[in-house]
Amino acid sequence: MNVEPDAVESLSRREMPIGSEDDVVVVRRAVRALAQKRGFNAFASAALTTATSELTRNVWVHARKGIAILEEVADGGRIGVRVTFEDEGPGIVDLERALAGGFSTARTMGLGLSGSRRLVDAFRIDSAVGRGTTVEIVKWKEP
Amino acid sequence: MPHRHYMTALRLDESEIQTRRSYFELGDDDLARLRTLHGLAEKHTDEFIERFYEHLLRSASTRKFFPDDATIVRVKRAQRQYFLQLFEGRCDREYVQQRVAVGVAHEHVGLAPTWYLGAYRKYLALLQVRLFDDLPAAEAQAAFLSVQKIVFFDMTLALDTYIAAHQETLARHQAALRELSTPVIRVHDGVLLLPLVGAIDSARAQQVMDTVLLRVAEEKAKCIIVDIAGVPVVDTKVADSLVKTTASVRLLGAHTILTGISAQVARTIVHLGVDVSTMHTRARLQEGIELALDLVGKRIAPVRAKRSSGE
Amino acid sequence: MTIHGVIPILRMGDILLTTVHIELHDAVAEGFQADVLTAIEQRRARGLIVDISGLDVVDSYVARILAETGRMALLMGTQTVLVGMRPEVAATLVRMGYRMEGVYAALDLDEGLALLRRLGRR
Repeated sequence: MNVEPDAVESLSRREMPIGSEDDVVVVRRAVRALAQKRGFNAFASAALTTATSELTRNVWVHARKGIAILEEVADGGRIGVRVTFEDEGPGIVDLERALAGGFSTARTMGLGLSGSRRLVDAFRIDSAVGRGTTVEIVKWKEP
Repeated sequence: MPHRHYMTALRLDESEIQTRRSYFELGDDDLARLRTLHGLAEKHTDEFIERFYEHLLRSASTRKFFPDDATIVRVKRAQRQYFLQLFEGRCDREYVQQRVAVGVAHEHVGLAPTWYLGAYRKYLALLQVRLFDDLPAAEAQAAFLSVQKIVFFDMTLALDTYIAAHQETLARHQAALRELSTPVIRVHDGVLLLPLVGAIDSARAQQVMDTVLLRVAEEKAKCIIVDIAGVPVVDTKVADSLVKTTASVRLLGAHTILTGISAQVARTIVHLGVDVSTMHTRARLQEGIELALDLVGKRIAPVRAKRSSGE
Repeated sequence: MTIHGVIPILRMGDILLTTVHIELHDAVAEGFQADVLTAIEQRRARGLIVDISGLDVVDSYVARILAETGRMALLMGTQTVLVGMRPEVAATLVRMGYRMEGVYAALDLDEGLALLRRLGRR
């Protein structure tokens, strides 16, 4: 019995390392392939792929290494893709400001977090200074 | 096969079937008991089916599902098979799939759960009488409880499938409606028109933007007029989405002209802090069309009277 | 590391034309920017057309490289037109909140050339 109808279930899981600039392209290609396999339309697929690109680059620029976990997920009737980015980098000092966007650190435009948040259906971030950052995004397929 | 799809959608794998069985306390002993009842069931099938359909045909709500005699003959045959399957004492994936198919069929013809549950009650009532007629009381009691378990097990499967199928039907309707609600019309070479009518929520706003971009690229349009005169409420969210649509159309190399801008909308857009110098807006659609033609280097000119043109 | 010469830059009269046909990862993007600016400097180009119809992902990094290149070109007197941006790319950039400042846009190459001609007449 599905006691919790809204519980998100993982249908597949793949872990990819982030450790070079090239991984920005490698990870987002893998995410695009998942979105296409699940029949996302071009707009949803571009949104998810671009958010992945931003967040993978964030890991590379700020932490130098980390992982991306790619999952196909389902909750009741919906199918989606969830990507989780984990690093053990410096963490984010002012999370609120980083999420507001528009301020620039290192080489990203400061749109990495705020921009990707606007592109996905669910966005969760957990960051501790000195310990690292975890960002989780979910994009659902349009009915 | 639709029922395969719902087996996956409802995640009806071995472990889920076991979970459901244990929740309904449908044990192997029950299945064994059901098997012993197969002969008895078979003996009474014809009577059950006849009385069952008498019941269904008596009510106007259910009669409409049986438009002619041929249909009745066909469903009676299916019903007979369905009924006897209860006493095969099986509860595997194949059995579950057959029950799921019932839910799909009911949703497909629009037979609401009320009528399905009501019909099943009739079955149980008929069965109870025959069980107590044919068997000693204690045995009849045990048999009836086993029947009840598998019947409830069945009904949940059919209902869960009905609900899942119904949700998909609704989603399909919504998608179709959204499509209908963004009718992009080609009014001239390179000029498109999207008359928006009705309320705009965030899902529709997104659909509008995506459709506009797709059509501009497809038609290689230089200009798209979005007329919002028919949109009752333009709040900051809708205004923001229109501004975003304008900005993204510009990235393709085309212009958006917003027409039907009321005083209230003008206020909302300015309060959003949008740089209005980059936007083409007009109060009325006619002015928008004139501006669009101007942008593609065309003009609407009055036709001179024939007589004067010859002079 | 910056990688040069991956994206060819063609010359048509006083207009430079380049087609970005591969995914711009960071080193290539920076090499592209440097190559374009060098070409403008050497050839005194009046206009620059960047065809991005082959790009199915433009994140804020690549968008910034493109817009910055346009603004740098403008400082050297060259107008930049991005042509062929895909609908989903445009939607994504705008939804992210990115503003492409300093570049023009056109639907395709022909429109891009026409736009540069009009800009030249002004």
